[in-house]
Parts: sequence; C-alpha cells; structure tokens
Amino acid sequence: MDLAVEMREITKVFKKVAANDKVNFNLKKGSIHGLLGENGAGKTTLMNCLYGLYQPESGKIFINGKNVRIDSPQKAMSLGVGMVHQHFMLVRPMTVVENIMLGLSSKRGPFLDTDRVERELLALSKRFNLNLEPKAKIWQLSVGEQQRVEILSALYRGAEILILDEPTAVLTPNEAQELFGILRMMRNDGKSVILISHKLEEILAIVDEVTVLRDGRLVGQAQVTAETTKRDLTSMMVGRDVLFNFKHETLKTGATKLMVNHLGARNDKGLPALKEVSFSISAGEILGFAGVDGNGQKELCEVLTGLRPTTSGEICLNGKELNRSSPKTFINEGIAHIPEDRHKTGLAMNMGIARNLILKNFSQSGFSSRGLLNFRAIKKNAERLMEEYAIKANGVHTKVKDLSGGNQQKVILARELSSKPEIIIANQPTRGLDIGATEYVRQKLLEESAKGAGVLLISADLEEILQLSDRIAVLYDGQIMGILGRNASVEEIGLLMAGVRTEEVEVC
Amino acid sequence: MLKENGIVKGFCHSVLPAVVTIALAFGVSALLLLFSSHSPIEAFSTLLTSAFGSPSRIAEVLIKTAPLMVMALGISVAFKSQVWNIGGDGQFTLGAIFAAFVALNLNLPGFIVLPVSFLAAFLGGALWGGLAGYLRAKFNANEVITTLMLNYVASYLLSWLIRYPMIDPDGHGFPQTSLLAQQYQLPIILSGTRLHVGILIALMIVLLGYLFWRSSLGFRIDLVGENEEAAKYCGINVSKTIILTMVISAGLCGVAGWGEVVGVQYRLLDNISSGYGNLAIVIALLGNLNPFGIAVSSFFFAALLVGGNTMQLMEGIPFSLITVIQGLVIVFVISRVVYTQWRDNVANRHFNRGAR
Amino acid sequence: MQTDILTVGLVSLLAGAIRMSIPILLPALGEIFTQRSGILNLGLEGIMLMGALAGFGGTFFTQNLWFGLLAAVITGITFSLIMGFLSITVKANQVIAGTALTILGTGLSTFLFREMFGIQKLPPQIESFAPLQIPFLSDIPFLGPVLFNHNIMVYLTLLLVVCSAFVLEKTPFGLQVRAVGENPRAADSKGINVTLVRYLCVMIGGAFAGLGGAFLSIGFMNTFLDGMVAGRGFIAVAVVIFARWNPYRALGAALLFGGASALQMRLQAIGVPIPHQFLLALPYVLTILVLLSVSKKAEFPAAYTLPYSRSER
Repeated sequence: MDLAVEMREITKVFKKVAANDKVNFNLKKGSIHGLLGENGAGKTTLMNCLYGLYQPESGKIFINGKNVRIDSPQKAMSLGVGMVHQHFMLVRPMTVVENIMLGLSSKRGPFLDTDRVERELLALSKRFNLNLEPKAKIWQLSVGEQQRVEILSALYRGAEILILDEPTAVLTPNEAQELFGILRMMRNDGKSVILISHKLEEILAIVDEVTVLRDGRLVGQAQVTAETTKRDLTSMMVGRDVLFNFKHETLKTGATKLMVNHLGARNDKGLPALKEVSFSISAGEILGFAGVDGNGQKELCEVLTGLRPTTSGEICLNGKELNRSSPKTFINEGIAHIPEDRHKTGLAMNMGIARNLILKNFSQSGFSSRGLLNFRAIKKNAERLMEEYAIKANGVHTKVKDLSGGNQQKVILARELSSKPEIIIANQPTRGLDIGATEYVRQKLLEESAKGAGVLLISADLEEILQLSDRIAVLYDGQIMGILGRNASVEEIGLLMAGVRTEEVEVC
Repeated sequence: MLKENGIVKGFCHSVLPAVVTIALAFGVSALLLLFSSHSPIEAFSTLLTSAFGSPSRIAEVLIKTAPLMVMALGISVAFKSQVWNIGGDGQFTLGAIFAAFVALNLNLPGFIVLPVSFLAAFLGGALWGGLAGYLRAKFNANEVITTLMLNYVASYLLSWLIRYPMIDPDGHGFPQTSLLAQQYQLPIILSGTRLHVGILIALMIVLLGYLFWRSSLGFRIDLVGENEEAAKYCGINVSKTIILTMVISAGLCGVAGWGEVVGVQYRLLDNISSGYGNLAIVIALLGNLNPFGIAVSSFFFAALLVGGNTMQLMEGIPFSLITVIQGLVIVFVISRVVYTQWRDNVANRHFNRGAR
Repeated sequence: MQTDILTVGLVSLLAGAIRMSIPILLPALGEIFTQRSGILNLGLEGIMLMGALAGFGGTFFTQNLWFGLLAAVITGITFSLIMGFLSITVKANQVIAGTALTILGTGLSTFLFREMFGIQKLPPQIESFAPLQIPFLSDIPFLGPVLFNHNIMVYLTLLLVVCSAFVLEKTPFGLQVRAVGENPRAADSKGINVTLVRYLCVMIGGAFAGLGGAFLSIGFMNTFLDGMVAGRGFIAVAVVIFARWNPYRALGAALLFGGASALQMRLQAIGVPIPHQFLLALPYVLTILVLLSVSKKAEFPAAYTLPYSRSER
C-alpha cells in the first residue's frame, strides 16, 4: 500500500529538551493510524511538525512520496494535511461559515463570498453526515458539534490526511461512537486519518495501525489485529507493566462532613449553571463526579470554595452553614482545593516554590510576625514539604514555572494537604500529568481519605473515577443525573453523562 | 524578594542592564543631536558639568531627587500589582493642594503643622488615586485612562484654586497662593544651598519601601499582581487589595507634592508637578521596581533635569531632549527581553548541533 | 430676533461639535482595528503629536496641505511601528509600551519643532484647509451650515467611518483581524500570519492617529503647539471601548465628546458664571463617566492585550 505520510528522523527541541528525538512515522493511504503515548511523549509535537506549526530542527517529511518542507499550516493544507486540535481552533463569536472561510482566499477578490461557501458547506456536511448549520455561532454549539466544525473545515480545505488530537477527551461515550462512524466513512472515501490518543480502548476499537512514542522517542509501530491486547500496548507506552487497579478498601462510613442541599449558581454569562444540586460526603469517602467538561464542574468547585455566589440552597461543613462566606472562611474551615488549572489558578508561576507553598497562609502567625514575613520559617516549611512530597527542584526558591507539570502539581498537593483539610476538592487532579505523577496524586488522595478527609473528585477520565470513588455522581447540564455505587458500569455512567436517565439505573 | 544572589550576580542582573539601557538611550539621542547639527559630546559634557559642577549644583540635583524617588516608589507599588497608575502628576498636585491648604490655614507651631500637612498630602494623593482604584475594582474601568484623565482634572482644579479661592490677596492678581511662613518651611540642611531635609525623608521612605516588600501586605500585593486568579483562589480580596495598592501608590505621589510645597516653592502655583509623573514611571521601570534601584535611578534622572536646563540655556538644545531620553529609556528597558530570547535561541541551536 | 440668535448659536454649536469630534474620531477608528486585533495601543497621544508636527512641517515646507497629510500618515505609521515592535515582537506589556510611546512622542515633537523653527515671537503659520461648501446641500436651512460647511478632512473622516465598518465586517481582511483578536492560535492554525495582521492593524492605527494629529495642526488650527493633542489620544481609547469596537458607534461617541468641547467653548464665550477651568475639565470628566458606564459589560476581544507566541500555551 502507498504511504500517505512518511516522517524520517524528526527532531524538535524546546528549551534544550528534545520533545522529539529522531522519530520515524509512516501513514498508509486509506487507513486509520493511532499515535499512542503518555502525556509528554511528544505525540502532539510530532503532529504539529507535520501540520507546519513547528519546524523540526532536523529530519525529513514525505507526503505521497515527495519530500516536502512544511513551514506553515497553510503549506500543510495545500498538501492536503488537516488537523483537529485538542483545544478547538475556533473563534467563538463568529459563525461556522466565517470560521471556515478564515484564511481562505475569496473568489470575489477583496470581498467575502459568504453565500457560495455556505452552500458548499451544506453539501459537504450532508455527504459526511456532519449535520451542521453554517449560520450558527460557534458559542451556541455543543462540544461535539464544534469538533465536527473542525472536521468540516479540514474537509472543505481538501484534506486527504486528517490529524485528530485526543478527539474523544471531551466527548461522551455516545458522541465518540458517532465520531468513529464519521472517521470510518472518511477512510472508505480513501482519506487517511491519524488519531492521537493515550486511551487504549479507542485505539484498539478503531485503528488499523499504531505507532507508540515514549519520552520523545519512537518505541514501535504495529498492526492492530484482533489479538492485540491492552497490556501489549501499555508496556510499549510506559516501558513497564502498570497496575491498573489500585487496591481500594471497602467503604468505611464515617460521619457526614459536607452537606450540600438544592444548590444553584450561575455561570459567567449569568445563565444557570448548577440546578438543585444535592449530595453529601462522609469522612473517609471519595465522591467522584463524572461528566463531560462544561456541565457545571467548574461552577461546583467555585461554589464549594466560596469563589462563586450561590443563588439558592445551602452548604454545610460539619454542621456549620457556609453560604455567602468569603473564600477565606472556606479555607479556614478546612476546605482544600486542587484547582482544574494549575497555571492560571493554583500557582503563581513566577514565584518560587517556598512562596507558593504559603500562598494561603502567609499572613498567619507561623510565617509572619508584626506584619513582616519570617523568611527562615518559610524556608524551613518549604524544605520539609519538598522532602515529604518528593518535589524535585534545584532549591526552595526555584520558580514554579521551571518545574515539570508533575512537580507543579506536587507543590499544590503539598500546600493543600499539609493544612490537614476536612474536605478536599480535586478538580481534574491528574490532567496532563505523566503516569508516574498520576499514580502519585491518586495515591495521595486515597491516603488522605484513609486519614478521614472527605474527597470530592471531579474528572473527565472515567477510568480514574471508577478506580478511586466510593460513590459516583454524574453531572449533566448543571444537575446531578444520579449517584451510583462504585460497581457501576461504564455504560450506565455513559448514559447519564449524555443526559439520558433510564429506569434501570439504580440510585444510591 | 528573597535575596539569595551573590553581589556579582546581582550586579550583572540589575546594574549592568540598566547601564546598557542608559547608554543605548544616550546613543540614540546623540544621533538625534548630530542630525540637528549639534555636537553630542559638547551637549552631554555640558549636561554632566552643570549637574555635578559645584556643590550647589549637586544640591539642586538632590532637591529634585527627593520627590522623584518617593513618587517612583509609589508608582512601583502599583506596577508591582499590575495596576497601571499613570496619574502621578494629578496625585502629586492633590498632595500639594492639601499640604498647602493645611500649612496656610492651620495656625499652630511648625512641628505640628509639618507632620499634619504631610499626612494631609498623603490623604490628598490617596483620595485621587484611590478613586481610580475604586473605579477599576468596582467598574473595571481602565485605570490608565482614569488616572490620566484625573491628571487633567487636577491641573484645572489647581489652576482654579490659585486664581480664586486660594489666591494670594497681596499678589497683584498673580495666580499663586501666599508664601508659607518660615516655620512651615522644611529646614535647609546644607547652608548656602536650597537643599532641604526632604531628601533624608525620601531616603527613609525608600528604606520603608524595602521593608514593605518583605511584609505580608507587600506579599499580598505582589501576589495579586503576579496572578489575580490565584490570589482570589487563596482567599485574598482582590478588589480591596487593588484599592489599597492605589491608595499607597497615590499617597506617596501626594507626599512628593508635599515636599515641593513645604521644601521648594513654599506656595502653590500653576503646573507644580512639572511632569514628574511621567518621569517617575521611567525611574520605577529603570529601577526594576526595586526600592534601591529606584533611589539610584531617580538621582540619575534628577541630574538630567538639572543638566538639561543648563544645556538648553548654554547650547541652545531644547530641554525636550530630556523627555526624548526618558521615552527611549523605557523602550530599551522593555526591549531587553529580545536579548534574552535571542540568547535562548542561540542556546537551543548549540544544543541541536551537539545532538546531531 | 431672539430665535435667530438661538439658531445661529445652535448651528455653530452643532457644527463645532462635528469639527471637534474629528480629532477624536480619526484615532478612534484606527484604534478599533488595533484593538480588534488584540492590541491596546495607549501610545496614540504620542503618535498624534508626531502626526500634528509632521502635518504642519510637511505643509510648511511644501506649501501643499496634501503633502502635509501624507507626511502625517507616513510619520504616524513609522512611529506606530515602535508600538508594534514592542507589543508584538518583544511581547512587552502594552500599557508600558504605550506610555513609552506617549513620552517619546511628546519629547520628540517638541524637540523637532524647536530644531526646525527655532524660538520665535510669533509661531510659524500655514494656510489651513478651508471650509468646502457643498453646492446646494449647504444652502439647506439649518442642516446646511451644520453638516455641509466643513473642510475636506471632515468629509473624508466620515467616509472613513463607512469604509472601516465595511472592511471589518465584509472583507477577508476584516475577518482575519477579528479572528486574530479573539483567538490568535485558531487564526494561526488556519494559516493566518498573526504577527503580520497585528502589525498591519497597529500601522492602520498609526496612520489614522497621524491624520488625527494633522487635523489639529492643519485642519483645525494653522500651527503646531506643544502638547496640542491634550489627552485626545487617551479619550480616543475610551471612545473605542465605549463604542464596543464598532466604527458607527465610535462616530456617535466622538460626537458626544466633540459636543462637550464645543459646548464648553460656547459657554465660555457667552460668559456663563461657571469658572472656565471647570468647563475645560468637562471632556476629561466625561471620559471617566463614559468608561464607567460600559467597562463592566463590554465584551473585550478575548485576546485583548495578550501577546501571541506559538510555542506557549
């Protein structure tokens, strides 16, 4: 079979670290090819080189057998390469057709040719079953629809090779199946697809071939057959066998710590984001929140930490009502928060580790006296926590932005958990971390719950939820669709995530 | 502000770039002078000798250093928390008005009136800047524009005050207040010159500034500037901190106005802030928002001001050349990053060669 | 008789409002492009001063107003490139970069004016743009003298309002500008050169600001004065936010400010018993009020003041 893409010995360096080190990659025409690896393995970097967003320091790229230099996405597109990024590259206030026309030359010279493009898009959308309305504004569309806009955009530009970066991360299991249908249709049409992923199931489910990267290097390329197992791929990906199941002790019911009743809140646009949310967390319990991103998770975390006002309902911690309290009160009452976005919320990136470790309590007596900071105590605190939480850095004053993602998350963990919290709110605590750091974070959460803290775990990763949680709540459109036991199946949860409430689902 | 660096490293990181920046700014202005057929060497040597040529000259430089130092320190507090206080001139003016009002109307001994007028000046500046801070915190009104607009309002307010309600009754209608009584003037510390005790007060304020950044309040302001989102997450009331920042920043600018009234002019007159506001921004940036850097930079720019006046008189070179130098200094200060970027790129390329 | 005086007064007030709105509207139009592309250019004041000087100097030395305008545009563009360099290439803080430009423009315009013309008792003067009465239309009672008795720069500016709106909404370039300001990464991935678009927008802003400055020196007055822009550059920025980045609304907002300036002058002329300092402060107070009324709910471009770099997230 002919090769659609051949990449030879690609090397790409960022800040003295090789993100890709002499990587080879071959894509056969008319196939779906999985690009597998942990976070940070260099998958996206490699594809960004193919799409012209990055220029590799060395290596060659062949498309349809011809050696090419791809110095811009435009060049890539002219060669028939399209890409759907993990974070959608869409301009939210603009319409579907405006987004797709963006960067294309108009047949009407200096004026936009909206009507013609609209007609052509409708036809194309029908052909691949994409079901899109060209006049809709992006912000009005669901995540799945936005993804289809990206695919439509690539197809409209004549893409013969389509790269999808972690396309299912934001989809419900159902939406993912729909997407796979579209991809198969494209393959039957003679197009080639590259699927970047770290999820083994979907690789096994849909791809014809797989290439595995680890630490920026090529580990291997293989046909995917019926015999290929998860374990084969994992050991390629990680370089060792991974424990898939943590040993989780059976539920030990302590006293109720956090009670949330009929909670309501609005999002930034003033629309209802949480509706009648009620649940409770007991000492030593981990309550998992499954759900597709953007269904109220962010607002829930903010309400439970005092960062967002409630419109109704009540929050009680150990019997004390906390509605309308300041964030400071929430912190003082023992609610720790591992925020979703480390960089934007959890850390002051330009400050050192020592300072980041006292962000929440620098004005307390241990670290300041008569208004002046006690630098010796601050340093001691940092040294102690860096050792306890195995934070790897040159010193206590190393700027947090110079740390790896795993170590950054450990700084947050150290700060939040060292305050001996009553309740830990962990929002996507392992997102973007490598497997080692992920295991560490999960272990720490289990330890804390064993010590008697209540944990509220929000994750888009169902596997994580299933592994850690004692009970699983599913958020959809700001409501709790149901709270299931820890033995719930992926199918059950998936239906609830999609907003389908079935009779069979047992609620406990 | 945890200082762990050695002196040499500190020099390379803070002093050297500042010197290079100034050299570049002077280089460009030299070209400008050449184009307009002046001799740069002559111009700059006049600048130098007229600033440091005699004790009274140096005294003049120190007189100008004091308000610049205090104002730049004030500006640095705001900039550190990413609040862009461009309204130093207006806050200086309000401080001067409040100080003059107290000194002209409070008939008590000097040792009472001087401190009271000091506080009044702080309050005056703080009100003006606090207003902008409040509007930013509550209405998200861009403080660059509000503080700047308040500059104009302050200057018209001053202009009205010294023509009507506060005019010197014996001044033949000249737009100024009457002269402050001797006991309300700051004492001279070097006889034969105009050098008053203000420079010592300014140095004390700089020391306080050093302590300020080691205090928990300083940390709070620093954190809000570093990452507002994170500050909120850590339970800090960001709106309150922004207003407080502006109050401190503007209050210091007001104090600079106090010094001008009780130490230099001994009265209120038009345009009393004489463009110190912009200069304070330049100084704060050149000094890297660090109290000691600010102290040195303000001395340097005060010398430029004194020298620039003489240069205009003797060489016929417009004083506005000094303003040009100020602008160039900012341009070069913020362009430093280009150099670091370039250095990183070179490093990357070296690494690649090694990798092959 | 009484009504006649009133009418005449009203006509001169409204015509004055239009005239006084031009030096705010011109820079505001350019700034709409700049800000839509994600860059806050607070250096308009400095660019306008340079434009005012260039317009005057160009006219003085060539004795041709059009060459004066050309010089102002070229100077405005050149000067704005400093802003472009600092905010796009260096990725510096845009407030500081703008402040640098303002200080630089203030100093340089004064310095060059002194060097070119020396210090004279009477400032050098030129013949400025004369009012152009549009045949027939200017004869319409009331509306004629209000709308159709202005110099050509006024008419051109109004034309530019329409052009700007059209370019932003109906052309591929306008689409690119909006995309770059909302989501530069997305624009980049679609093959749009973010850096180029931003540079172009800063330059458009510079050209318009240069024109705005020149209107003051050769359209409204007939000489250059130190600091003659008097904060209009900053008022223009406020107007852009008030107008929510729409050229037509910017026209309305600029007229509001023009009206305030014109009213202030008329009131002074009639001798209203309000201290004239208070009247002079009016436009600046108005600016603050206007900012308050919109800032909270204005939807700024999502990438406002954020530099773009491919390799950073």
